[in-house]
Amino acid sequence: MPARQDNQRYLLWLGLCTLAMAVVMAVLLVLQLTQRQAIRASSETRVDSLTAMAFQFEREFLRFRQALDSTVNSASPPDADTLTLRYDIFISRLNLLRDNPSTAALLARPEYVKALPLVDQLIERTDLAFSQTPWSAPVLAGVLADFNAIGPDVQALSLAADSLVARLVEQQQNKLLSQNNQIIGLTVAQLILLLVAAVALVRRQQRQEQERLALEKLTQDLRDAKLGAESANRAKSQFLANMSHELRTPFNGILGMLGLLEDSPLNAQQADYLHTVRGSANHLMTLLNDILDVSAMEAGKLHIKAAPVNLGDLLRDVEALMRPLAKDKKLAFNMAVQTKLPPWVLNDGTRLKQILYNLLNNAIKFTAQGEVGLTVLAHTPGPDDPEGTGESGTSRDNGLDFVITDTGMGIDADGLSRLFQRFYQVDSGVTRKFGGTGLGLEISQTLANLLGGRITVRSQPGQGSSFTVYLPLTTCKAPAAAPALPVPLTPVAPNQPVINQATDATAPNRPAPRVLVVEDHPVNSKFVGVLLNRMGCETEFCEDGQQALDKVQETSFDLILMDINMPVMDGLAATRAIRAMPQAISRVPVIVLTADMTSETHTQAMAAGATDFLTKPVQIAQFRATVQPYLTNLASP
Amino acid sequence: MSVMSRFMAPCLVALALAHTLPAAALEPATGKVILTITGKIGEKNAGNSAVFDLTMLEKLPQQSFTTKTPWDKQPVKFTGPYLRDVLSVVKANGTTLKANALNDYKTSIPMADAQRFDMVLAHKINDKAIPVRTKGPLFIIYPFDTKTELQATTYYERAAWQLKSIDIE
Repeated sequence: MPARQDNQRYLLWLGLCTLAMAVVMAVLLVLQLTQRQAIRASSETRVDSLTAMAFQFEREFLRFRQALDSTVNSASPPDADTLTLRYDIFISRLNLLRDNPSTAALLARPEYVKALPLVDQLIERTDLAFSQTPWSAPVLAGVLADFNAIGPDVQALSLAADSLVARLVEQQQNKLLSQNNQIIGLTVAQLILLLVAAVALVRRQQRQEQERLALEKLTQDLRDAKLGAESANRAKSQFLANMSHELRTPFNGILGMLGLLEDSPLNAQQADYLHTVRGSANHLMTLLNDILDVSAMEAGKLHIKAAPVNLGDLLRDVEALMRPLAKDKKLAFNMAVQTKLPPWVLNDGTRLKQILYNLLNNAIKFTAQGEVGLTVLAHTPGPDDPEGTGESGTSRDNGLDFVITDTGMGIDADGLSRLFQRFYQVDSGVTRKFGGTGLGLEISQTLANLLGGRITVRSQPGQGSSFTVYLPLTTCKAPAAAPALPVPLTPVAPNQPVINQATDATAPNRPAPRVLVVEDHPVNSKFVGVLLNRMGCETEFCEDGQQALDKVQETSFDLILMDINMPVMDGLAATRAIRAMPQAISRVPVIVLTADMTSETHTQAMAAGATDFLTKPVQIAQFRATVQPYLTNLASP
Repeated sequence: MSVMSRFMAPCLVALALAHTLPAAALEPATGKVILTITGKIGEKNAGNSAVFDLTMLEKLPQQSFTTKTPWDKQPVKFTGPYLRDVLSVVKANGTTLKANALNDYKTSIPMADAQRFDMVLAHKINDKAIPVRTKGPLFIIYPFDTKTELQATTYYERAAWQLKSIDIE
């Protein structure tokens, strides 16, 4: 990658720069140390100035010569003590010059090489002269002459020292200057290096900033794109949900009319056609419901309504629906309950049934021959099963496993891993052959999770599949009264035998019950009308709540069927208004009809004063079961 | 040891010496005078001065140390009384010593130096009397090797040799 190469080059460069600077600094340090050493050495060796020593030597030479001269030219006897002291001091100066550590260079000068032996000889002669006491004037005069003769040489020594010191100082200065120049050069080099490094750093910083900004922009663009995509996806889901909802209304009409048609006398061919139409219609309904569920899932609006459920009844319903489907494909259908079922459990029966229908439907769909089974077992915790394993070490909790097995084509490992993904079907070719949205398993798994359980699957290609629905159970008491809502909602199976019952629920000698149907959708309205007529009722129709209020005040009715969603005035408002009317009118039972199956709607309807509750699409059997009691009660007051 | 006690110790020694030495006036010099002390002194034995011959100096407690000096190639051993003992004998009470050498060299030594450092008034170098022909007869010497602060021109200049006299101011 270019960025990485760039980075490596930068690091290399940085390393070299640092190394160069370190080397320069090390050299500087060495130079400084050398200089320090030199200064220290010079201070040690030149504590006493050479010129001062040479000068003092000459001075003491002159003072002694002066004292000697005075003595020789004086009439009084010589002062031996004073003269000897001056002589000793003179000699001490010579010794000092000779013995001092710093005078080596001076002693090597030609002037010294010439003069010092002469001085030594002079001292030798003087010592000899002084040792002959008492001193005689001629001897002292001889010594004085000697001292006078050597005078110029001694003077030359002072001048030589001065010259030497000047040279030494000059040398020292030159050395210091050259070292100083080196230090300056190195410092300048370091300065340049530092500036170059700083510029490079700034440029790199700028480039990085540019890259960062570009990256930030890219991130922002990607975020926008993602938001756009999500928004588009939501819009599409919303459209799907709307469409399927819109499709359901007319489709309910078709289903209703199909039901009526099935009740009418038909010849064998017509019955067969009708059977096919019914099959296709049910399939279409399943697809629509799947899409609605997925939309709800996406919106997070898929909710569970827990209510007392009788598991035995539920399983019987499932069997009643599935056994004929299996039989159509010449498959055996085995249902077995291998544990003691609690009579009532708190659960969402509708959703549980939906899961079982879905899995059994799939099992039947993908099995060409053999059998399909539903086995209910006490739950066996699996290895990936957190609940149940922790307590008391038993392998059971109070949950149930619903095991759906088939002898179908099976699923390979790759298929298993993607089985619960949206739109997934084991083989895209299979989709063409078997149809379906590919949403069923995802919905089932989501529902199972919402119910506190999960679906697991074991399968091998060619050896069938086994889906296990684990469901934790909460037992509960039987509901106080037979509830209106949990009457099993049995979708009409394609081959469900049509209940072609006699319609005269009421005694013939009584006046026909008068029923008001408040429904804005003409097809639904017509369907309900036909059903009521068959049950021996007289019917009147209106299209909204306001019209209904007018009607009930004009004539009396024995029963009102009330849709909820209507223009002008909705069913809930109309029901409340009726309940607020004079007693004769307000006592009329009102059965609310709605496509909205949520418990919330149910509660609202009951709170508004509804007597009972029916969901759409209207199922004939359920309709009869719900409506009949109100007609019968009426018939035998 | 605290600074105070370190400072006090030499003082006490000086006091003690002052007591053990003859309480009477400084005895007169009998030999050749090699040191004359003048100025602010309490003890005198020759008019306005205190004079010493070698014997008088040798009677004081003798100290020795060896140190490098700028004037010699090898370390040198110095022997003689502490300068502060000599000053104590003459009851010097000034602040500055003006040292004069035979060759008229002059240098000023703060009185405090004699207390702070174990300065010796040497009359022997390497156990031999110091002739005038070298640096004698007396040499005020600092123990240069004991403290780096002493290895400086200031103190080298104060180390007077061929010492003749001291004037206390």
